[in-house]
Amino acid sequence: MTATLALVRALFRTYTRNRQGLFWSLFFPVVLMLVFGLLGNSKAISINLAVAGGSPAFQHEISTALAHSTIFKVKEMTPTAARAAVRAGSEDAELLLPAILTPGQPAAITLYYNNANQVAAGQTVGAVQQAVGAINLALSGRPPALTVSPQPVSGSRSFSYLDFLLPGLLALTIMQGCLFGLATGLTRWKEQGVLRRFLATPLRPVQFLGATVINYILTNMVSVVIILIIGVDFLHATVQLPILPLLLAVVLGLAAFISIGFLIAGQAKSQEAVVPLVNLISFPMMFLSGVFFSPASLPPFLATVVSFFPLTYLANALRGLMSGQLVGLAPALWGDLAGLAAWTALGALIAGRTWRWE
Amino acid sequence: MASQIRLEHLTKRYGAVTAVDDLSLTIPALGVFGLLGPNGAGKTTTLEIVEGLRTPDQGQVWFGDLDVVRHPHRAKALFGVQLQTSSFFELLTVSETLELFSSFYPKHIATADLVRRFDLTEKATAQVKTLSGGQRQRLALAAAMVNDPEVVFLDEPSAGLDPQARRHLWDMIAGLKAEGRTVILTTHYMEEAETLCDQLAIIDHGTILAVGRPQDLIRERLPGSLIELAPSVALPDGIRFAAMTALDRGEEAVVIHSSDLSKTLVDLVAWAGGASVDLAGIRTRGSSLEDLFLSLTGRSLRE
Repeated sequence: MTATLALVRALFRTYTRNRQGLFWSLFFPVVLMLVFGLLGNSKAISINLAVAGGSPAFQHEISTALAHSTIFKVKEMTPTAARAAVRAGSEDAELLLPAILTPGQPAAITLYYNNANQVAAGQTVGAVQQAVGAINLALSGRPPALTVSPQPVSGSRSFSYLDFLLPGLLALTIMQGCLFGLATGLTRWKEQGVLRRFLATPLRPVQFLGATVINYILTNMVSVVIILIIGVDFLHATVQLPILPLLLAVVLGLAAFISIGFLIAGQAKSQEAVVPLVNLISFPMMFLSGVFFSPASLPPFLATVVSFFPLTYLANALRGLMSGQLVGLAPALWGDLAGLAAWTALGALIAGRTWRWE
Repeated sequence: MASQIRLEHLTKRYGAVTAVDDLSLTIPALGVFGLLGPNGAGKTTTLEIVEGLRTPDQGQVWFGDLDVVRHPHRAKALFGVQLQTSSFFELLTVSETLELFSSFYPKHIATADLVRRFDLTEKATAQVKTLSGGQRQRLALAAAMVNDPEVVFLDEPSAGLDPQARRHLWDMIAGLKAEGRTVILTTHYMEEAETLCDQLAIIDHGTILAVGRPQDLIRERLPGSLIELAPSVALPDGIRFAAMTALDRGEEAVVIHSSDLSKTLVDLVAWAGGASVDLAGIRTRGSSLEDLFLSLTGRSLRE
């Protein structure tokens, strides 16, 4: 135990003294957050609209008409559920239809919209009014005509691109920390003979392994916290932070990437060989696994392949938790956590068989 | 109480290459024991098997009654090891490195004592990456001593050092011996072997060619004296001088081995006078380890 802790301390010291490494591990996430945080909402226009109230037939008629527009993603919901969804930010607006239609009278429709983001709210109200006007034209001559009165829902939240990006960047930082930091570090120590020198002492391999894992969990946690502080406190990203489920996802993500890091370091013979190998593995994940955009926009076959990447599992879990779409230990979260656990086991299994100390 | 180390029928193969070939050797307790051989002779592999760092394909290693091959972990706690290419975390300081290694052993020497003893005081708080070659080597030696070991293994301790740093290191190794430890080192420097080693094993192709005290080995295996002549001296084929035991025609010198120097010299000078051969540059000397090595392996150590 003394030996393991002493080694953790030594590894942590070498980590904090490697200024260049520290800088680069935080540089990209922070710059990306700054760019998107300061640019504001750069989300392409697409409005999630809940249609609520009215008779089922009327509700359906209106939603079908609105769904013709490519701007809207329409859902039929109950008024209560719709309002909650607007407040939580998962729907941009709720179109509340009147319960009773009086023939000859214009039907008054209320639009409850998410006002957390002024630009998006303006776009939403404008788009809905325009669409309803078009429906009116289609219904012309056939009373009742529809009028829309917009109502902001205060205290509601919106998703800016930064909100989308932040969980992805955390996942990316964890991956890069383990693949670049751990895999290249281990390869360097292996090549220089540092690891063999440890083997010549009574230090057991499992103690070395344990110390390395503890150190990489600690150091990556520090990076995660720094990025969260910059993103939330300075750039005002709107994210949920359910500590325990997040911690669980982060630790499992670290476990998966640490075992992959050992796997790569076990294969690589030199520092020259390890960097291209790490790039080969991390680049596709960095761009496809949903760090910067949702994998849902990929071609279906590719999206299926990407859904099995470890970074996809981690980014999904973190984004689900931080956007509030996954509450507590939701079943959808279990799927991602199981995926990370499977990668941990697979990586550890292969690493255990192919690892070389020299 | 110090124990001797016995290597019994060790064999280690790497693919088609047999690095250590049925090697048996007893290393006495106390004093400095040297494994002398050219690069690739199997010295390092042999040493690493004894250290418990490698498992032999066949054979056993005993440290007293401890079976090193079966219980490498116990053996490692008693041994101090300096590897040929051992390096340390570049970003730790000298003191931190020694403290880290101390934490691996049940018994250890205070870091401050080690720092002082191996002349690292002024570098104690400096990071390893700032150390010179000689300082690194002393750190490696200090790290080998953290557990106050009974046996210290040094693999090519003076490789790559300048002559002054080498002398400094030799003094420290002599100090280890004076403290009553067993020091086992590999080297391919004749001078190091002659200066430091109480006993030597000459090793090549994974087998032991000769074992003993350096002076005894030379006296027994290569008695007599050597006469060196410039390579330009043309000795006819089949020429014999009185008391001549062998004749080597090397590129750098022609060497006449003699069992009785004065008889051979008189005969040689008489021949040279008659044949009008210039003997300028002639010199005589006793046999050296280098000559012994050459006669045992047919090749020079420096190759």
